[in-house]
Amino acid sequence: MDEVVVTRTLERSVSRRTFIKGVIAAGAATSSAGYLLRGSTGLFAATAMQGTAERLITLNVNGQQRRVDVLPNETLAMTLRYKLGLTGTKLGCDRAECGACTVLVDGVSQYACSTLTHQVRGRAVTTVEGLEDRQSGALHPVQQAVLDEGGFQCAFCAPGFIMSMVALVDANPAPTREAAAHALSGNLCRCGDYDKILNCAMRAAELARRV
Amino acid sequence: MAEKLIGKDIAPPDLVAKITGRAKYAEDFRAEGMVFAKMLLSPMPHARVRRIDTSRAERMEGVVGVLLPDDVPQPEPPAEPVLAREPVFEGQPVLAVAAVTEQIAADAIEQVRVDFEPLPFVLDPLDSLRPGGPNAHVQGNVRVRGEDGTEWRDHKWTETDFAAAATADRLPMGEPVVEWSRGDVDAAFANAEVIVEETIVHQSLTHHPMEPRTSMAYWQNGKLFAFTSTQSTARTKGALANALDMDPEDVVLVAEYCGGGFGSKISGSTLMRLPAIFSRKINRPVMLRVTRYEETYIGRARPGFQGWVKMGFRGDGKVTALDLYLVEEGGAYGSGDNGTAGVVADLTYQPDNVRVRSVSVFTNTPPKSAQRGPGGAQIISMLEPILDKGARELGMDRLEIRKLNAPRPDVRFGPRDMGLTSVHAVEALAQGGEAFGWEEKKVLSGRRNGTKVTGVGIGLSPYTAGSRGYDGLLLLRPDGKLQVHQGIGNLGTHSIADTARPAAEILGLDWDQVEIVWGDSSRGLPRSSVQAGSQTTHAHTRANHAAATDARSKIQEIAAGTLGGAPGDYVLDGGRVFHRSNQSRGMSFGQVAERAIELGGTYDGHVLPEDIHAETVAAAGGLAGQGLMGVARDNYGGDGGVYSWVAGFAVVELDVETGIVDVTEYTGYADCGTVVHPRSLGAQILGGSIQGMGMAMSQRWVFDPKWGVPLAKRLYTARPPGILDVPLEMSWGAVGIPDPQTPVGAKGIGEPPVGAGAAAIASAVADALGGRCLCRTPLTPDIILAELEGLEPPFSRTATHVG
Amino acid sequence: MATIRDMMPAFELFQPTSVDAAAELMDEHGGDAWALAGGLDSMDWFKDRIKRPRVVVDLSGVSELRGIRETAQGLDIGALTTLTEVERHDALRSDYAVLADAARHVATPQIRNQGTLGGNISQDTRCWYYRSGWPCYRAGGNTCYASAPQAMNREHCIMGASRCVAVNPSDTAPALLALDAVVTVRSGGRERTVDAEDYFVGPAMDITRMTVLRPRDLLTKVHIPSAWAGAHFHYEKVQDRGSWDFALVSVAGAFRTTGGRIQEARLAVNGVAPYPVRLHRVEQALAGAVTGEETALAAGEMAVEGARPLRHNGYKVPLMRNLVRRAVRSVA
Repeated sequence: MDEVVVTRTLERSVSRRTFIKGVIAAGAATSSAGYLLRGSTGLFAATAMQGTAERLITLNVNGQQRRVDVLPNETLAMTLRYKLGLTGTKLGCDRAECGACTVLVDGVSQYACSTLTHQVRGRAVTTVEGLEDRQSGALHPVQQAVLDEGGFQCAFCAPGFIMSMVALVDANPAPTREAAAHALSGNLCRCGDYDKILNCAMRAAELARRV
Repeated sequence: MAEKLIGKDIAPPDLVAKITGRAKYAEDFRAEGMVFAKMLLSPMPHARVRRIDTSRAERMEGVVGVLLPDDVPQPEPPAEPVLAREPVFEGQPVLAVAAVTEQIAADAIEQVRVDFEPLPFVLDPLDSLRPGGPNAHVQGNVRVRGEDGTEWRDHKWTETDFAAAATADRLPMGEPVVEWSRGDVDAAFANAEVIVEETIVHQSLTHHPMEPRTSMAYWQNGKLFAFTSTQSTARTKGALANALDMDPEDVVLVAEYCGGGFGSKISGSTLMRLPAIFSRKINRPVMLRVTRYEETYIGRARPGFQGWVKMGFRGDGKVTALDLYLVEEGGAYGSGDNGTAGVVADLTYQPDNVRVRSVSVFTNTPPKSAQRGPGGAQIISMLEPILDKGARELGMDRLEIRKLNAPRPDVRFGPRDMGLTSVHAVEALAQGGEAFGWEEKKVLSGRRNGTKVTGVGIGLSPYTAGSRGYDGLLLLRPDGKLQVHQGIGNLGTHSIADTARPAAEILGLDWDQVEIVWGDSSRGLPRSSVQAGSQTTHAHTRANHAAATDARSKIQEIAAGTLGGAPGDYVLDGGRVFHRSNQSRGMSFGQVAERAIELGGTYDGHVLPEDIHAETVAAAGGLAGQGLMGVARDNYGGDGGVYSWVAGFAVVELDVETGIVDVTEYTGYADCGTVVHPRSLGAQILGGSIQGMGMAMSQRWVFDPKWGVPLAKRLYTARPPGILDVPLEMSWGAVGIPDPQTPVGAKGIGEPPVGAGAAAIASAVADALGGRCLCRTPLTPDIILAELEGLEPPFSRTATHVG
Repeated sequence: MATIRDMMPAFELFQPTSVDAAAELMDEHGGDAWALAGGLDSMDWFKDRIKRPRVVVDLSGVSELRGIRETAQGLDIGALTTLTEVERHDALRSDYAVLADAARHVATPQIRNQGTLGGNISQDTRCWYYRSGWPCYRAGGNTCYASAPQAMNREHCIMGASRCVAVNPSDTAPALLALDAVVTVRSGGRERTVDAEDYFVGPAMDITRMTVLRPRDLLTKVHIPSAWAGAHFHYEKVQDRGSWDFALVSVAGAFRTTGGRIQEARLAVNGVAPYPVRLHRVEQALAGAVTGEETALAAGEMAVEGARPLRHNGYKVPLMRNLVRRAVRSVA
């Protein structure tokens, strides 16, 4: 936890427990207008708050340690795209619905749009930019499979699907077509290229087995 | 010998960029000093902005500026403003704030106070057509052709019209706005052996391209640099320049990749103007990252139809009469799918007697636009199950009845009495039926396995598939490589690469000697078709064919001029031009290009043909002197409409205890002329068919009728199909007979599969239900289960925006 | 205040590494604090800027809350255990398959990798009026938009309504009911256990909550008693799409049989009421009944007695009836 800027210890009853606190500056206030009222209601109404500076943390992304300013309410997708220049991770919905932002966290597929960046400190994040062999520059077997099969159309969904395929072939070297479809069911392709995407996944498993 | 390219699977040249994350879509560009814009959207379906107070927002640290309705042109409706003073749908942008971070911009929006005066609104076209019913715009509810072009009208039906329908399950039919006919439908119905009549609803559905319509823009030395998500490149530059009242040459448009459009981003979007205008105002680069939430409102939708159809059949199955009435939900800014729908219906069934009446009504729902197979996809998915009904009553095979009615080469159709360049719909049905195994599969119809019943269906779907008269622009460089300049867009159809193949073939070049130039208007893009309506395969194989033919002549002339003999004695192959009698008597293309530069004039683009478009002249001007230029207009001409066809075949399993439909098999078979790129063609056929399946089975736009605002505004509530909603394996094929009126023989294919996929599923579901047509999309489990259980249907036959 | 979506408002983020610290934080910040597990439901609310906690307590670093432990009394599942772990755990798959099955039906692989069992059973309803920020009863207002005469309520409830007609969206909740699971709730320094069935509350009891959790409360553990280990199980979820969808209706069943008779049964249904519904009467009727179609039909009919559909969700009555029928039919 060397990257933690503010570490506070609860003095009274929980002195042995530490936790990390992040603070940000922003204003929010409530008011209301006529017609159909929509906004914050109930228990968790907005409250104005004061804050301090942004926090510098270290992230492990594609095998590299990256120092970066991260707000407490910042998602991993935003950090990758807007602070680390890794725009291969796409924002298709920002609501954990379409899978375009899929990345691997410690090898497990997650939606980067719905993961707080502060949650992946100390964990290995892999994005589509991290798949090629760092020495040789060779494509990852999954990428090679997609190239062989001519996969994807508009390809906005491709980085996310490819990350899901990597997770699939890592976990299941010999998937059935049905297992592959289930593994890819968290990614949406609006061009409807599913048949070809499944061909890619099957080819990817074949190539990965040879490696 | 140079390789043969037409008909081969060659991965598009941009695929590596796409799979490594290096491909830059609009939101991936950055500029020094870039700020972020956020928009305030209308919270109500129709309102007038009385007062805006941005003072608190503007005082916030990090806020750079605001853009108000007064800062943008306010054209008369049905033209759409970038920011509305009188919003006509919930979600319409009203103003924008720019700040140094997106977070601050969003927080600032919350500090803006807008006083909205609610105005009457209407969602259901039938409500607007009622006597005294509300209009979507204060100017009226329909547009009609008047003496001075189109004009607004307050179009109302009578109480009698509504009373005649008697129930909500029957479409009332008052005075139409558009009507055309051929023959005498009433007489034909009098003589018909079988008549089928239904009221039927097709829902509106949003495009949901994976990439929202994000744009970034900045200005430098009076020039606008715009980065946007668009289906077309050259035509978007023009559209943006036009909207901003600028000289197109002062606009640099960058659109290298487009994350899907499906008709919603044909020449960019209305919204792409916002960062351009905002950037000019605050003198900072502006990124407008459009979110999915915003895209759902602003991202266009396919218009819905409330329709009525009456089909009359002769004893042998020939459709003798077709009477169609369509009420179109035109959305906030209008739509014209109703016109196309009637034409496509006439073309597909070839009735001697036809009458088409329609009215397109403006509504306070998000704007509509073309969506893959606009009008055609809806009407085919509506009519094919009704054709099935006729076949059942006649005891006819459903494939045979389609073959019988499908057009022959001497086809005439539509109000303008058109013909076709070629048509092989019957072959697509026959060969597709063979590939699918229609004879074996059709006997599975109604088979019961536990709680599941099998249904088998067909859909035959045509759509326009080409246009003519665009320009091709090529440059053979001194390094011997060929640059093909493509002004069309790059949205995944691979046309930027595939339509360049004829050029390489004509010049005898291997594919690795070809470089595609696309996606950046500063690199010189010729006048191109929009990348829409399945035009590009046809339009730009022609244009590139013409330009390559021009280049070939020039190469031969240079060879003859340099090496002696007649130009016609020279052959092009393997990157060289040589004398037919002696291969060693030749020049490399590199030498030819250098010679062209020396010669100047027409050879290197300093002198251009007179018939090319001004945009091509400007593009070619920037390339002159860099090599041998091939540049020409497509003057191949042609007579008749260019249409492609897809016959879709499906097997479904319907669970009678849950209403769930599982699509287990699908085959799509196309008539689209010569096959240029088989794998890409398959992707278009199956991808389009899957969009059709979503249309038939799940997608929806639901509104609360009282408040007039949308509810299904999330992906999971709007339900585009996922990978588990389609068969695990699908197959496709193509007739492959060249169109005789185009040099490469190829026609487009993007549009027709949508209707085929939707109709095949609708037809199969009706089959599983023993021939009962539910006459509504989407065919969700609630509606199917209610039918099976004999419950009151959850929604009436005319209900729209429900589900 | 004008509405804007998609950028989360600012909050203070705490990342405790122990349950004690987490409980302390929840206690200290009370109604201002929000416990963040997998974050899927939470971030959705934050991005809509409708729920705006001042303090977010991220539980992802609390390792004690993760993992599945086998004990003599059954299984203890930490509230932060991901749905993927639940789906793949050997003992769950072999002895309590109904829960593994239910977890497998949640949304998508990525959501199951992130989402937790505790989050899945504690998530808020998906009523599209409420989720859009309409000031309904549940949001502290004084009307229900979803049961208004013209309202769109295809996905709403057919029983258990009390002013609010929303349904509970959890896929795993009915499985926990069928297994007689018990959950542990930590509040400050105290712990209490609650039967799974009682964990969920209807609007008649508290219209602003889906569960018994109140400010300061932390769900820490789900206990699966061994009583139902190795029983015959059945789980089914009917949804509009094959992935990323909530149940129109789901059913979970556990059955002990002997000699062609059902000894004891548990049946729970979700998607039909504001809380997962345990079918006590049907269970009682099934005890001792002969397995077979006749019993299944009777169970289905009994299950939907008293159902009161809204304008657009009448189909849920036969759907629930049929799913219960299928569950009972599955006992061969």
